[in-house]
Amino acid sequence: MNSFWTVVGFTLKNKFRGKAFTITTIIIALIICIGINLPYVFSQFNSGDKVTSIGYIQSAQSEGQATGDQLKAFFEAQEKPGVKLVSYDDKGSEADNEKQLKQAITDKDIKGYLVFGKMTDSGFPEMTYKSEKLLAFGLTSSIQNGLQVIRQGTILKDAGLSTEQLALLNAPIEIASVQISATEGAGNMGEGKTKEEQAVNMGLVYFIVILLFMAIMITGQMIASEITAEKSSRVMELLITSVSPLKQMFGKIVGMFLVGLIQITAYVLVIVINVKLPHNNEMLEKYNIDLSLIDPMLLIYSVLFYLTGYFLFATLFAAVGSIVSRTEDLGQAVLPITMLSLGGFYISIFSISSPDSMLVQVSSFIPFFAPFVMLLRLGLTDPPVWQVLGSIGILLVTIYASVWISAKIYRTGVLMYGKRPTFKELRKAMKAYKI
Amino acid sequence: MNPLIVENVVKQYGDKTAVNGISFEVGEGEIYGLLGANGAGKTTTMRMVLGLIYQDEGEILYNGKPYSNDQLRNLGYLPEERGLYPKIRISDQLIYLAQLRGISKKDADQNLKRWLDRFEVPEYYNKKIEELSKGNQQKIGFIASVIHKPKIVILDEAFSGLDPVNVELLKSTVKELRDSGTTILFSTHRMEHVEELCRNITILHRSNVVLKGNLKEIKKQFPKERVILSTEKEVSGLEQLSGVTHVDRHEYGYEIGISNEAVGADILRHALAQSEIRRFEIKEPTLNEIFIKTVGGDSHE
Repeated sequence: MNSFWTVVGFTLKNKFRGKAFTITTIIIALIICIGINLPYVFSQFNSGDKVTSIGYIQSAQSEGQATGDQLKAFFEAQEKPGVKLVSYDDKGSEADNEKQLKQAITDKDIKGYLVFGKMTDSGFPEMTYKSEKLLAFGLTSSIQNGLQVIRQGTILKDAGLSTEQLALLNAPIEIASVQISATEGAGNMGEGKTKEEQAVNMGLVYFIVILLFMAIMITGQMIASEITAEKSSRVMELLITSVSPLKQMFGKIVGMFLVGLIQITAYVLVIVINVKLPHNNEMLEKYNIDLSLIDPMLLIYSVLFYLTGYFLFATLFAAVGSIVSRTEDLGQAVLPITMLSLGGFYISIFSISSPDSMLVQVSSFIPFFAPFVMLLRLGLTDPPVWQVLGSIGILLVTIYASVWISAKIYRTGVLMYGKRPTFKELRKAMKAYKI
Repeated sequence: MNPLIVENVVKQYGDKTAVNGISFEVGEGEIYGLLGANGAGKTTTMRMVLGLIYQDEGEILYNGKPYSNDQLRNLGYLPEERGLYPKIRISDQLIYLAQLRGISKKDADQNLKRWLDRFEVPEYYNKKIEELSKGNQQKIGFIASVIHKPKIVILDEAFSGLDPVNVELLKSTVKELRDSGTTILFSTHRMEHVEELCRNITILHRSNVVLKGNLKEIKKQFPKERVILSTEKEVSGLEQLSGVTHVDRHEYGYEIGISNEAVGADILRHALAQSEIRRFEIKEPTLNEIFIKTVGGDSHE
């Protein structure tokens, strides 16, 4: 047991001493900081320049003049108008008018202007919005909305409805959706999840699945490449004559696990600190996100699936790392494992809107997908306890099997040099070694 | 009982027999030489002794006991290809390797410093392997194999890639180890090292043992076939003597091949008649000659 912890300690020490590791961690932490604060930064930039000014020609002759005035009144009546209409005097000819408006754009008084044409059946004249910007969809749609309301108002007023009745008509309709479980669920939420909880959980599941995937891939790759490096530098011959392969492999896996854990803890801390900053708290409130709604059971399950997922994939990565003798060949050799974890990851991410589908239910029992997919089900639906336990059970059995096989492959593989061994060679050699 | 006994060990890789029934015993404070051309099975034999691979037949005993994980601590190994982490500080990795073999961190540190001083390179303590030359890497590799004071040390091509000064340094260190009672199994291509260090040898050729035993006795089995002669003046007619197979002229004199030792006396008489003699020697065959004779010059690198 003593030499096991020596291996763990050595792995940890070397990772933390390496410059590459420290630099990547700091860079990723910085990216996280920037990413979290970006919405706030953007909102700071936008707030000063929120109202778009649009010009139009106010002339008695023009058919569109009434519409322009109506729009102006409509936007002025709004609490937070996104658009402001500015009227310009008629210069007599169309060309002069255009010239005047274009001049206004150059002077930055307005962003664009509306040109009214012939009257149409809709009750409004033909309208063209001219500006220097491409695709001003947001703007035209708010003008469209305005026109819609104006027309409704006119028609309904003609029908003799009062203002109160109008307000009633326009009042928004809300449906509250609560997710419940008909049977006894695995979570503790007998009263079901409210909409806010669901939103928070969905975000959390998204976040955890990505974190899980990253952690498995990054640490897994590190394990495989370290083993291959030990093999190619022939340190392996010394190591294997000093300590049993099983201890050596697990020392490495546990060491890397601690490295990954410390790294993730650092990232999570960075995230929590950033989210707790006062200005970000306001942002969260604005979007109705209350982080205290996170279900603690979900976090516990996340840790559980992180552990099982990590050890399952780490042992496989170790086995593959031991077969390859050169670091250049490693990328190709780990591809099948990468595909496996990628499969689970994608099933989980793309099923986030349909966490009840057959695909999700079935794949939550396939050990290589289960850590990702079962987490999705736990976060967004309420799977029966036996299914969750069954899934974890299958995972544990698979981990046991993969530990055994990987240890065998490791013992065999670390001494095989030259070309990658065929399955037949590997199987034959595996029989010869005790772990 | 000898600390290391190898008995009738056979190893097969698929259809190919890598080692075919090798047996030898190495005593305490003895250096045993394992010779052979490339691919003769030396490294395979050593790996079996280390427990890296298992023999198909036969038995290897360490102090009378079969292989077990406890034996690992008594073994030291210097692989043919330098097996160290290139990017990790020497002190870190050597102490790590020593710890894995069951000695405390403090002892390991002390031993390492002592060894670095012994090799007159204390400044390597904080260096990385990749910063060192090949020969100096070899020194560190050697330290890694003996830092935990093993009872049995296995040195695979220990002196390859070293300059003459370092070869002497390492040789004297190996002798010290031997004198302190360490059992050493040693493989090399360099016959002069074997002649200097080893009491008993085994010559392997294409997986088979072709010659085995005490070095002196082996040499006695081979006839003395060479005479070295240095004289004041030229000596003529050596070729005409019966029993002389060939005569080579060198700067220092003549090297004469003879069919049996008795011819030596004839040569001496013949030479004395013509000149004063500065040197006359009937030479023992060198191990190099014996090796080439038994293995055949073709497969020697």
